Amino acid sequence: LKSVSGRFPQFHKIFFASSSRIQKIQNVGEQFGRSSMDSGDSSSAVTSDAARDTSSHSEDADVLSHTALAKSALSCFHSGEFEECIGILVQLDQKRPNDLQVLHNMAIAKYFKDGCSDSKELLEELNRVKNQSEELASSTKELVEEANPETNLYVSEDQLDSTVTILNIAVTWFHLHQYTKSLSILQPLFQNIEPLDETTVLRICFLLLDIALACRDAVKFLDVFDYVDKVFGFGVGFGSQEENGSSMQLSSNQVSTTSSSLSSSVAYDTLTSGLTAAESENLEYDSEIVVKKRMKPVGHIPTKNLLTILGERSFSTVDPKLELQLYKVRFLLLTRNLSLAKREVKHALNIAGIRDSSMALLLKSQLEYAHENHQKVLELLDVSDIQKEAETSGIFKNNLGCIYYQLGKYQASAVLLSKALRSCSSLRNEKRVKTFSLSQDKSVLITYNCGLVHLALGKPLIAAQCFQKAIPVFCRQPLIWLRLAECCIMALRKGLLKEGNTSLGRSKIRLHVAGKGKWRQLMMEENEYEELAGSSQEAKLSLPLARVYLSNGIYLLNESLSNDSKSDLKSTLFVGMNETTEASSSNHGEETNSDLEEANGDINQDIIQKSISAFKDGCRREKQLIKQALLANMAYVELELDNPINGLSAANSLLQLRDCSKISAFLGHVYAAEALCLLNRPTEAGEHLSGYLVGENDFDLPYAQEDFDQWRMHTSSDCDETGDLSTENAQDSALLKPQEARGVLFADFAALLATKGDYDQAKQFVTKALTLLPNNVKATVTAVYIDLMLGRTQDAITQLKQCTGVSFVPQT
Amino acid sequence: MNRSTTMIMKIDESAVVLSLLKSDLLPIEDVLSEFNSKLQSSSYLAVCNSLSMLLQDQKLLLGTERLIAFAIIYKCYSSQKPSLNPFLSEMISAACNEQLEKSERAFLLHLLQWNSYNNVKEILKQSAVDYIRSFDPSTHDFPELGELQREYGDKADPGPSSHIFADYSLKNLLHDPDVPRGCDPNSPEFDVQPGGNPRIGLGDRDEVLSELLGNFTMEGLPPRWIRPCPPRYQVHQSELLWIDPDNKHELVWDDKMCADTSRGATLRDLLVKGLKVTLSPTEQEEITTELTNDPKLVYHCGITPRKLPQLVEHNPQIAVEILTKLMNSPEIVDYFTALVNMDMSLHSMEVVNRLTTAVDLPKEFLRMYITNCISSCENAKQQDKYMQNRLVRLVCVFLQSLIRNNTINVKDLFIEVQAFCIEFSRIREAAGLFRLLKTLE
Repeated sequence: LKSVSGRFPQFHKIFFASSSRIQKIQNVGEQFGRSSMDSGDSSSAVTSDAARDTSSHSEDADVLSHTALAKSALSCFHSGEFEECIGILVQLDQKRPNDLQVLHNMAIAKYFKDGCSDSKELLEELNRVKNQSEELASSTKELVEEANPETNLYVSEDQLDSTVTILNIAVTWFHLHQYTKSLSILQPLFQNIEPLDETTVLRICFLLLDIALACRDAVKFLDVFDYVDKVFGFGVGFGSQEENGSSMQLSSNQVSTTSSSLSSSVAYDTLTSGLTAAESENLEYDSEIVVKKRMKPVGHIPTKNLLTILGERSFSTVDPKLELQLYKVRFLLLTRNLSLAKREVKHALNIAGIRDSSMALLLKSQLEYAHENHQKVLELLDVSDIQKEAETSGIFKNNLGCIYYQLGKYQASAVLLSKALRSCSSLRNEKRVKTFSLSQDKSVLITYNCGLVHLALGKPLIAAQCFQKAIPVFCRQPLIWLRLAECCIMALRKGLLKEGNTSLGRSKIRLHVAGKGKWRQLMMEENEYEELAGSSQEAKLSLPLARVYLSNGIYLLNESLSNDSKSDLKSTLFVGMNETTEASSSNHGEETNSDLEEANGDINQDIIQKSISAFKDGCRREKQLIKQALLANMAYVELELDNPINGLSAANSLLQLRDCSKISAFLGHVYAAEALCLLNRPTEAGEHLSGYLVGENDFDLPYAQEDFDQWRMHTSSDCDETGDLSTENAQDSALLKPQEARGVLFADFAALLATKGDYDQAKQFVTKALTLLPNNVKATVTAVYIDLMLGRTQDAITQLKQCTGVSFVPQT
Repeated sequence: MNRSTTMIMKIDESAVVLSLLKSDLLPIEDVLSEFNSKLQSSSYLAVCNSLSMLLQDQKLLLGTERLIAFAIIYKCYSSQKPSLNPFLSEMISAACNEQLEKSERAFLLHLLQWNSYNNVKEILKQSAVDYIRSFDPSTHDFPELGELQREYGDKADPGPSSHIFADYSLKNLLHDPDVPRGCDPNSPEFDVQPGGNPRIGLGDRDEVLSELLGNFTMEGLPPRWIRPCPPRYQVHQSELLWIDPDNKHELVWDDKMCADTSRGATLRDLLVKGLKVTLSPTEQEEITTELTNDPKLVYHCGITPRKLPQLVEHNPQIAVEILTKLMNSPEIVDYFTALVNMDMSLHSMEVVNRLTTAVDLPKEFLRMYITNCISSCENAKQQDKYMQNRLVRLVCVFLQSLIRNNTINVKDLFIEVQAFCIEFSRIREAAGLFRLLKTLE
């Protein structure tokens, strides 16, 4: 009690005023609501006295005036007069010291008054209100419990209710892109959602759906989605549509055909050849576009009025049923159930009618994007209102940038993305913050895309700056750390790092020519450190930093993989429980009708479950791939940092991965072998390489052409054709062709044999290596070394003079 | 040896070293003290490294120069034991190299202070020229390489951070004589003669020495390992962020501020009364209407799990009404627990029985409730025979109704219920329940 009274002055007063415990409780009750529930009960009847009666009249009058003030504050708030609003709230605050709801509304009004600029302060204020109200709630509860349970003291929950505060905190975190924080604070509300009123329930659920989409959490999404659909009876749900059963099976067949690479190349053809027969097939599909185009000449004003302006979509203007349908489409796009998504988009357009089709059309364009049907996307984006409105033009340019990236036109993509960023920042600077909506700032997401495109353009420093700006939002995702490490490695290989004097990929052999004539000497030097124009100063990249980035990524990935396996365990348990209850209930099967319906629903649920598990599998596979990449990069960086022990352990963990791809395995073996050499364990090193040996002295391809093609398909589809300036740069971090990789095995094995003194065999291997990797500097050095060891100085010199990677440097 | 590339001699240093190498008429002692006075000890490693590189080529340095070079290497590390000299292995192999002059090998053995070669000081007092001139090969015997390595080898420190590539690295100096085809590059005709004419193939040894001295790096020529760069991770479609304008989640004004708190006040007052006495039909009617009008009101009506037993005792119908509406509440389990734990009575059974027809009750709850009923009957034995009989009858009727309505699966409770029937077989209803069980078997 002491602690409570210390923190809440009004308690303090009360506690000193009265002595009996029951009196205290009553006063608390008075303060926070109604205490009239004692209704003449013997235990508390004692307390009613004359003084209280007289005061109650003036209290009633107070309450009335407070309510009036609250009303006018609300109307000021709605009309955007925040100054006045705050003035009224200050008055209220003086009359009702420490009324948490007054403090809450004051915080909100202040935030809007300041142009939604200081989210941090808002959060602090809201959290303070939340904590106080929770403390108050628990201490009041304690008081009530401690009192005689027979007394029927009722403390108004309304005054202790922090739902709105919590929702506002979650909304703020959401707009700051802190989805996990937002989720963790909303989760308890969702678990206890029944007592809340419908509007609040919808707000919470829609926010949760957006969070789930942003976190790519399909299970969470379905959880919330099913709840909303059930409670509000929209009938949008996955299991509740009449015609679902038949058409869905059809669509699941389509999934397999559309996802094949064959159809995607068809899509590409239509793009290049413009309007072709393929499009006429989709005639009805285009009808929306035609309708919208026809609507244009009627005049801008009426159309604008008819359509809900995209930038002003807000909770009060949207139709919840349509909204839920749109969420469904977004879910299907997330889980890449594209044919089902196509059907549901149509459904959404039907619900929307012409009035509010913008959002549905946008989702449709996203669907076409997922289908790699880029020409169609451009058309759809063109008719949607997205690019005309200031608030969404940034988003439009970003999405356009995505398309150009997918087309391999990185330069164009970079231009679009930086334009997108500019329209975001101009929006921010306008300060014309519309009331009741936080500025919808997507610039962090666009910045991440910028990072990707600059990496593809071979500009590691700019890319790193972009990724570093995106860290606050993406820091829980392993991929961003991998990308940052890739920036460091690319900068190293381009000689942009200060300490980049170790092994530049395109190093040359320099032969210093000393003396003349009879006494002429060639002094061989490799990997001369050169000062390069660019400086890594701004982005502050380095190899030790790359190591930190990679270990962040590995840590996060391990965490999320172990969470996955845990939740899998849980969900299988859960499914098991469901089955048993279903089985037992079906024993008493009476109602055949409802059973049939259920069965129908089950089929749909089954498809959804299948697509979720396919999605989960996809995510897990992707995580495995990221893990391989992280470990391979880690091994490389450790070797670059002259730390063979760590390099070896990274390479070994890479090789121990269950689904290690052939490409990763090759890298793992080569890194491990090198690390072992550096640790003076040549025999073990040899074992890593000899696994690829065929017979005595030939190496197999470490990975097949298919592996290589598959990899390339994802990285830069048609990088070569577009003739971007970047191609040369992009090659820097490109994957070795299978034959080149084989050449690496020859060269490295030759180096190993040379250290063992087996020069004749080493000579054979290095010769093969040089036919596969002509002009490779390191292979040439090894060849020269072997020649010198065999006493063939002349051969070595000839070798050097033939190699294009050699430059002769006269003495000055 | 460290693989650092920055250990290169400065230009003035290499000039000093070159001039010292040529001071073959001065006592070697004096040459060394001049070396000491002109060079910092920090550059010793670079100097010794360059010298040892030059020494590996047998023709590049003259005999006297080689002696001085070795003496410098010796001098740089003379304060330590010979075995700590990083260039020890070079000195040992030179001392045992039979292609070298015997005078040079003997000189090295002196520097190494091997067996009888112990008068280094005496020897260093001579000039290099004098030493070679006075050298008498017949008075010396030379050890085998293995012998020397055994002597010093175990003590020799292999040096830090050495690995196989570094260990096997070669000097990175290649002799590439540029002389006309068919000429012997070793012939002295291509040396620069004072006053001679320049011609093809002519080369000045001093020139190459000074250029080399200034440029030697510590890095030798090892076999090189190709370390493939890890390829950039694929950009999947999902990584590139496609953005949808999302629903504007807005900040919400808390409109409960100073709000009217009378919502549900009548209901609450009525319910408080209902905890004590049975309510009149009109009052009950009023409660039902209030609850139907505002479906969320049930959460604010003030009936906590703790108060539920009182309500059940006095107004079972209202309790059923409230519990039915609370079925979706996360706290419903607490209400059930309260129901299970309260004293068994006709009213509580009525509530449970009505609930079974209205909603899906959790199996676990029903089971616990029935077990509780049975044990209450057994415990009532000590108190009052009449009360017990009454309870048993109630339980039997209750169970029959549950079984007839298919709300419980008899199999789950078969043994328990059967034992109960047998124990109280004297009571007619128990016998009836027993017969019902038999028909289900």
